[in-house]
Amino acid sequence: MVSTPLVVAASFAYLMLLFAVAYLGDRRAREGRSIIGNAWVYALSMGVYCTAWTYFGSVGRAASAGLWFLPIYLGPTLGMLLAWMLLRKMIRIARVHRITSIADFIGSRYGKSRLLAALVTLIAVVGIVPYVALQLKAIATGYSLLTSGHALSGGGTAGAAWWRDSTLYIALVLAGFTIAFGTRHLDTTERHEGMVAAIAVESVVKLLAFLAVGAFVTWGLFEGLGDIFTRASARADLQPLLSLGAESRFAGGQWFALTLLSTLSLFFLPRQFQMMVVENVDERHVRRAAWAFPLYLLLINVFVLPIALGGLLRTAGGAADAETFVLSLPLATGHPGLALVAFIGGLSAATGMIVVEAVAVSTMVCNDLVIPLLLRRGPGPGGNLTGTLLGIRRGVIVALLLLGYLYFRIAGEAYALVSIGLISFAAVAQFAPPLLGGMYWKGGTRAGTLAGLGAGFALWVYTLMLPSIAKSGWMPAGFMTKGLLGIPLLRPEQLLGLSGLDSLTHSLLWSLLANAGLYVGVSLWRAPSARETSQAVLFVDVFERPVPGGVAGPVFWRGRAHAGDLRALATRFLGDAAAQRLFDEFARLRGVDGVAAIEADAQLVQFVERALAGAIGGASAHAMVASVVEEEPLDLDDVMRILDEASQLRAYSHALEEKSRSLERATAELRDANAQLKSLDRLKDDFMSSVTHELRTPLTSIRAFAELMVDDPAMDAAQRQRFLGLVVAETERLTRLVNQVLDMAKIEAGHAEWRAAEVDLRALVTTAVQTTAEVFRERGARVEVDMPEHVPPLHADPDRLLQVLLNLLSNAAKFVPAGYGRVRIRLRTNAERASIEVEDNGPGVPLEDQQLVFERFRQGGEVTNRPQGTGLGLPISRRIVEHFGGRMWLRSEPGRGACFGFDLPWRHDEGTGKDREARARSMAVAPT
Amino acid sequence: MRSQRLRSQRLLALFALGWLLLDFPLLTLWDRQVLVAGLPLLPLALFAGWAALIGAAAWICEADDEPD
Repeated sequence: MVSTPLVVAASFAYLMLLFAVAYLGDRRAREGRSIIGNAWVYALSMGVYCTAWTYFGSVGRAASAGLWFLPIYLGPTLGMLLAWMLLRKMIRIARVHRITSIADFIGSRYGKSRLLAALVTLIAVVGIVPYVALQLKAIATGYSLLTSGHALSGGGTAGAAWWRDSTLYIALVLAGFTIAFGTRHLDTTERHEGMVAAIAVESVVKLLAFLAVGAFVTWGLFEGLGDIFTRASARADLQPLLSLGAESRFAGGQWFALTLLSTLSLFFLPRQFQMMVVENVDERHVRRAAWAFPLYLLLINVFVLPIALGGLLRTAGGAADAETFVLSLPLATGHPGLALVAFIGGLSAATGMIVVEAVAVSTMVCNDLVIPLLLRRGPGPGGNLTGTLLGIRRGVIVALLLLGYLYFRIAGEAYALVSIGLISFAAVAQFAPPLLGGMYWKGGTRAGTLAGLGAGFALWVYTLMLPSIAKSGWMPAGFMTKGLLGIPLLRPEQLLGLSGLDSLTHSLLWSLLANAGLYVGVSLWRAPSARETSQAVLFVDVFERPVPGGVAGPVFWRGRAHAGDLRALATRFLGDAAAQRLFDEFARLRGVDGVAAIEADAQLVQFVERALAGAIGGASAHAMVASVVEEEPLDLDDVMRILDEASQLRAYSHALEEKSRSLERATAELRDANAQLKSLDRLKDDFMSSVTHELRTPLTSIRAFAELMVDDPAMDAAQRQRFLGLVVAETERLTRLVNQVLDMAKIEAGHAEWRAAEVDLRALVTTAVQTTAEVFRERGARVEVDMPEHVPPLHADPDRLLQVLLNLLSNAAKFVPAGYGRVRIRLRTNAERASIEVEDNGPGVPLEDQQLVFERFRQGGEVTNRPQGTGLGLPISRRIVEHFGGRMWLRSEPGRGACFGFDLPWRHDEGTGKDREARARSMAVAPT
Repeated sequence: MRSQRLRSQRLLALFALGWLLLDFPLLTLWDRQVLVAGLPLLPLALFAGWAALIGAAAWICEADDEPD
């Protein structure tokens, strides 16, 4: 046992902590530094799904039915797999239309129907009250167990006078807490960042607390999971808990029903809708939440079965007390501290659910029930209504918790937590047909939805809600066994004689069947009206609409309005500052100069209506705006025409975009081509000036010698002969140069003639060495040849290859040191290529020149001691090698000789000019 | 957009697989009185299947957007 003041103090301290987190979250949101703009926070905030029902009820369910607690969590796991499609669409629709509750969603979809929104609100409230009662019951039971050592049982506190009932005070405290959390100020988007932050923290706390108890039971009281399960298997009474009980004919159907029910609840419980849709900051967060939230569910369920079995093994109480095992096991084994932690976890779970549910329901009741009544005769005179709106919401929160308390007093004692929760689940599952249908089917109508929801809800009340009250003894139970009016076919749990199903599956089957059937059937009865059609298009095709925000996209409105009237309306419901901001934003979106210049057109009307929808709900906003403007009703043809225009506009803008993109592409291509041309032009100029320069040198000397001989007719014959010899040598050099320039030009222009033959590389190398042997001998250099015995033939032009090889060898001959030169020729082959390298022991090529030697007229070495040569040998060689699909490279460390080499593929299919160029550009100078 | 459509389809397929795996009648395959590593088969199979589903979902959701 734990002393009462300690429990109360710890609980309050914890609530204050949550409040501090919420306060911080709100403050950061106002400063624009949101702390919830994070996919993990989003996923954790979904943890509000796990309430006291999960925390206490799962263990109870596991203790009595074994694995049957699991479908409630498998359903959401499966549901989250659809979140990327379904939830993202819900979020987008809600954002575009400023939808703030599930009632608003359904009401707006079916032609902004107030009646429909009110019906949905009614179902939500009636369905949720038992759920709130469940939370109160859990806290009350836990508190009683912790402070007095025994749980509420039988009469419990129900027998005591109501003003001495601690549960009532718990309810009131939680109401105050919720008011402080969710209705401190009115926000047009109904976003509560602080609340989301607090719920995320709350989710972590309850998970950790539950895991702590689980670990304590598993390893503190037993020797691990294996120990618990082995002992449980040995007990005949516990063994059934480890199987499905599949021998029952309807077990499969029941499992399916539970899974389906929880899948639907994940999306349609008001608190889940609030957290997942309304409070979502960024659609992309859904991606992470789609697996992170199921992981959360898995973690919080891991220890449910061990705790249930452990509790049953340790205590004699049996399954009846199992719902409090989380508290009673630590208490009974002398760990009151852990029990307090567990209680805080449970309090956390219950508080989180109540806060979010109450905020969500208060928004619905205020917007869709109270405001329509309040404003039945138009907005009326009078000033700012924001205060009234807040007041209404606060009143609704208190009322909801008191209703929950009432249900707890009436029916709470008779039912297990899980059963109460499932009743609520079945109620909100009724939202599935109109909501899912409304998002994917344009044919659903208001009448169909009213009929479906009405019938589904009525059947839910009759087959599930009333029996639960009757079983608690607050109603004569006669109709249960004999049927309404004594007609056996109307027995609520065996309607039309359908028997064998458990009451939940039975109720779900009938209510969803009637709901979906009437929804589709009545919708098909009559074509949708103009407004239904326009809303259907906006909802179903939400992803095909351009910008969410209201200025773009089709506008289904026609009539006359005054900006002043709309401004006054906005001020009444949003306050002066918010209305000013709203009109400023519209002016900015339209690009007009200030608020005064705004024209009251259809788009302004729609813009204001959407903003109001955030504050008072879509249906009421529509009614309010309609009361200050003169609207001409649209007929179906108008809607179709507007849609056509919008889609034409969209097609035009699409075509324009496409056109401008292709223009941009063409411009870029032209720019590239121009740049390339310019660089080619510059290269040509460089080439021309180099060629003329190279031609001038021999010409100059020829002219000089010729002039000498002309000027001096008496020159002796030997001298004249020597001069003539020099002239001939210079002329030869000139010829060689011209030939090479021509050769180069031919190759570059693609006019060179290539012979194709099988080349014997060994013979080629031998020929080249023999041809240059004399030159090397003159330089006193030694030539070594290193090649394999057998080399397969290579497909290329033998003359051109010889030209390359001769060029490399004569280069080497020029650079080796006189007297002790050494040149090594290496031929190597592998499966794909053959390579030939010519290595010398000359001075090598300086690093800065290595890039240049393959360019035209860039001879290596200093200009002053340049050896003889035209500077075209290597560039020509490189182009020949590239022509045959090979690469040419230079490896050289200055001072340690140079090694020129090339490789060739055995067989080369002539590539296009383009890829030859590409290869040339990417050629590596030194593949070391 | 194309990669988003692919992701949607993968998740839809996983959803179908999940229903098959975690529902009757395939679920009864595990419903035997057998201990695996000291743990009963049915809960083990349920939790393992569940975890595998989450793992696959994480893989699909966290995969980078492929270029269109």
